[in-house]
Amino acid sequence: MGSKRPGPKQASRTKVIACATVIEEMLSHLPPSVEYCVLDFGLHVNPEVLKGALQETIDASATSADTILLGYGLCSQAVVGLRANGCTLVVPKVDDCIAIFLGSEQAYKAQHRAEPGTYYMTKGWIEAGDSPFGEFSDMVEQYGEEKARYLMGKLLKNYTRLALINTGEYELDRYRDYCQCTAQQFNLRYEEIPGSCTLIKKLLRGPWDDEFVVAHPGETITYMDFKRNTRKHENHR
Amino acid sequence: MSKKLVNAIADMKEEEALNIAKKMVEDGSDPTAIVDAAREAMDIVGQRYEKGEYFLPELMLAGEMMAQITEMIKPELAKMPEVKRFGKVLIGTVEGDIHDIGKNIVTFMLDVNGFEVLDLGVDVPPQKFVETIKKFKPQVIALSGFLTLAFDAMKETVGAIEAAGLRDDVQIMVGGGQVNEEISKYAGADAYGKDAMAGVTLAKKWTGAK
Repeated sequence: MGSKRPGPKQASRTKVIACATVIEEMLSHLPPSVEYCVLDFGLHVNPEVLKGALQETIDASATSADTILLGYGLCSQAVVGLRANGCTLVVPKVDDCIAIFLGSEQAYKAQHRAEPGTYYMTKGWIEAGDSPFGEFSDMVEQYGEEKARYLMGKLLKNYTRLALINTGEYELDRYRDYCQCTAQQFNLRYEEIPGSCTLIKKLLRGPWDDEFVVAHPGETITYMDFKRNTRKHENHR
Repeated sequence: MSKKLVNAIADMKEEEALNIAKKMVEDGSDPTAIVDAAREAMDIVGQRYEKGEYFLPELMLAGEMMAQITEMIKPELAKMPEVKRFGKVLIGTVEGDIHDIGKNIVTFMLDVNGFEVLDLGVDVPPQKFVETIKKFKPQVIALSGFLTLAFDAMKETVGAIEAAGLRDDVQIMVGGGQVNEEISKYAGADAYGKDAMAGVTLAKKWTGAK
């Protein structure tokens, strides 16, 4: 292999399969020729179900693509075990989508180390409503206001910060208002932290360097792929 | 009566569960029967959670009922002859992770199953585990983590225990979130527990408890 890292080939048929929260940040960078498929955000709650949905979508796309770019991270190991026959799979080498929004796994780890009790928010997360904040009204309905507050208190006991990631991809005012209100309501410190589209751009255009897991046709994505610098067989090339 | 208690807890009827437990205490029921009922109920709650019938609020509510019932029967338990403990377990959520709902359930289950449990809480640095092992001298270490980010911290914690020359003195289990056999190997642990009861079974096996 030469010094140039691989990226999408000229005139290659590339498809994107992304989570609903990630696609929000991707759309403005997608070349018009690239087809994309969006999977429901709610799937992440059950990694086995997400894995099934991803494999099914990959199987349906693999015949008409050379490369499938996954707008996911390790996502509770949901991507471990995925494979595509006859096409290459590329996925950012990150724990979850927060790293994608922040621009790198390194940036995510820095934020995480600084304050582990952080609840991260983006437009996609807020709109999906699939957070304890979004579910609070259901809890009130089921258990009454007092009990619901008590349970939320327990659920958020170790959280200190609500961080809205500003990726610069859209007008933030509404989401800022929502996050500030939510933070106040549940006694969290509100903070806006800068996001970055670096990783998304790199996923779409290459180079797929050490920040990505690249599974060649027929290869299965493993957990260790996320821990190694390069995929094993690339060393033998 | 204890069957009613099992059902009330498992069905999230908090007030009813606490009333039944209170009545059992007042009537002079064997406190261990109350503990057994709570343990059975917790098992049912765990199964319903796994099937997707229950979610996090129900787990927390169940945990809360357990805590209140345990508090209620403590004076009664204290009157009983000293219960023989099977062994000591040191538990904590590893550094960088602050999730503890699962860990708290495991702690409760180990406790009611006859272990002396020391819980270090959340975001516990590897050195804190090492220092506590030296003082508390547990046979079993239980490392909890919900985020995949925690898997590296589990590995670092096991590494720190090894570097301190304590690895051969303890058995280490990992659990939480998407922890599986592969993660247990990656972290250098001895085994993983897929749920609280699996953790209890491992601890019993390792300490020779029957």
